[in-house]
Amino acid sequence: MAFDPRREDYQRLALRYAQSLPKGNPVAAAKAFTDFGRRFARDRDTLPQSDADRAFHLVAVAAEIIDYQLPFSSEDRADALINRGRDLLDEAISLDPKCHDAIRMRASRVSPSFDAQFTFLQEGADEVLASCQAVRDAVPNDGDDERIALGRDIALRPYRRWMAALAEEALICGRNRSCIETGERLLQQDPSDQADVRFTLALAYAKLEDEASLDALAKRYGAIVPSRPADDAWMGIARLALAHKAHDMSLARQLLEHLIAVYPGCASALITQTELPDGVFARLAVPPYSEDELILAVSEATVLLQEGDDKSGRGVLGSWVARTTAKLYPEALAEAQELSAPYYQQGKKGTQDGDAS
Amino acid sequence: MNGREELVLRCAQRRREKIGTLSDEGFAELCLAVRENPAAFVDSPEQASFATLVGALDAFHRAGADDDLLDDEEFRAARERRLQTLSAACDQALSQDGGCLDAQLVQVLAADLDPDDRLDALLEIEAKADEANELTLGSTGDAWDDVFTRPRLRLWDAIARTCLAGGRYRMALDVSRGLMAASPKDQVGGRLTAALALARLEDEEGFNELDARLAGRENSWLNLGRTILLYKLGRMNAARRALRGYGELCEGAAYALLRPTFVEIYLPDRPEVPAGGFEEATFAVHEAEPIIADVPDFIAWTDAFPWFHASGEAYAEENGYDW
Repeated sequence: MAFDPRREDYQRLALRYAQSLPKGNPVAAAKAFTDFGRRFARDRDTLPQSDADRAFHLVAVAAEIIDYQLPFSSEDRADALINRGRDLLDEAISLDPKCHDAIRMRASRVSPSFDAQFTFLQEGADEVLASCQAVRDAVPNDGDDERIALGRDIALRPYRRWMAALAEEALICGRNRSCIETGERLLQQDPSDQADVRFTLALAYAKLEDEASLDALAKRYGAIVPSRPADDAWMGIARLALAHKAHDMSLARQLLEHLIAVYPGCASALITQTELPDGVFARLAVPPYSEDELILAVSEATVLLQEGDDKSGRGVLGSWVARTTAKLYPEALAEAQELSAPYYQQGKKGTQDGDAS
Repeated sequence: MNGREELVLRCAQRRREKIGTLSDEGFAELCLAVRENPAAFVDSPEQASFATLVGALDAFHRAGADDDLLDDEEFRAARERRLQTLSAACDQALSQDGGCLDAQLVQVLAADLDPDDRLDALLEIEAKADEANELTLGSTGDAWDDVFTRPRLRLWDAIARTCLAGGRYRMALDVSRGLMAASPKDQVGGRLTAALALARLEDEEGFNELDARLAGRENSWLNLGRTILLYKLGRMNAARRALRGYGELCEGAAYALLRPTFVEIYLPDRPEVPAGGFEEATFAVHEAEPIIADVPDFIAWTDAFPWFHASGEAYAEENGYDW
């Protein structure tokens, strides 16, 4: 389950609201709750909330703008969106100096390099954990187990996002051991893997060509909530990368076909191999097995696809995947060609510029 | 590969086999005689084929001597032509003796293929060679000592480096280790490829083992590999010291890393260069390029050390290179 900022915003206020209701009067409580949805949508300032809740609301709005609107905006609108996102995050931090999501997101916009962002996240990790644990321990015990559990869970989410971002940043920086250490620490803390950090881990294990650890990771899918088999695109790409790296080309081909079968009708994403900016709040929330999920996984797998000394500039594995997919699924190639200039026709057609992404 | 010298050894070796028994002194004298006039001792298709290849490789390198004077487009065209000429010479060598492994190897390399295709072609050659002759250590315990098994070691070396260029680091490591086992002297340099693969795989234990085996034999591959490894592991102070080791070992090492230049395909193996010279650093950086590209902020990190930057700049100034 990916992090959905809107939903989390709603959960925070609903929890606060529930705690404010008079105890021992179920009829009044039910009535009050029908009121909540309306007030949340139209008049949220009238709902009980802390500065941390207000700050998180601003984070949710900023996430919407930066992660979901900015990548699809026109260039002239982009600056306005960037400024608005920045202002929201600044305001969130002024409301709640311990709003780790806002602090992290702001840093990702201003860090001068991957390494700088990696170091920032790494140095902050322990403090964020301590801070989130303190919030968790302060969740009031109102006698409702479900509410307490949710409150505690929400308290730890900023830490999980911090760690997931650190793992992703480490992967991008080429620090695969560090990525694995971070991801494993997070997975230990949250075996249900709310942050889907196992996806990042799968790529890091493939980078280190560590098949045994990748197998061990697949076994831990049993603890994932909501449950999901180990056939997601990240795992699929990691496995086919391992086969390609071991020069077991027929296995690599089989695994590619399997991946395409798991994401039916989405093969063109394996030809275009679009690189997307990473979500600054968290990995974008997309439906499992959707085309968007495959696009996201392929984008994150750039570290595997674009490696090696390949003349096309797409990397050795990247070219092999694109070429093989195009051969196996001509209709996917046609679709990819409609979307953008296919890489193999570059040079032949002087009028096409830019690469396939 | 010192082709001329290997041709001499090959001819002398075959002659010795014909003669039957020959003392070591006798063999040394025979070698002198062959060195005087190798052509007179080329008496089989096997040696004729090898001689053709050696001549073609010499011609290839001679023809590239004036490349510095060409602009990019002219250079590309001239290089293309040279590689085609070389490939045609390989055809000729193979028509003399289809089993000439070096000619097969050079022909594949001269085609300048992408790593996947190159690896396929090299593995095909290796499979056939293995079918004909399983590689053994020979009587001395080092396959290099038999001049007729050297092509095989060069082939393995090319396979290992092609694996490295193709993102197949564990395979590169396995092949390099096989190479070091077959030839502990490691004239072809399996340890160099191994050092880079271990750095990329962030395998500190493996790297230290290799380092211990090569105790005292520092070189640019090892030093650059160690720097990358420690950087990847986040041990930045140790990485800084390793960078200093890299920078100080070879002349112009900083320049080689900060301003990488085009390096011609190795035909068929890593050119022999004086230890501690600029070329050593250039070759190490060239081979490490795919690994360096995988650590996006690595170059900027090295460049941010004033002493490293200044060292690169000073080398450029001294030699009249652009900076």
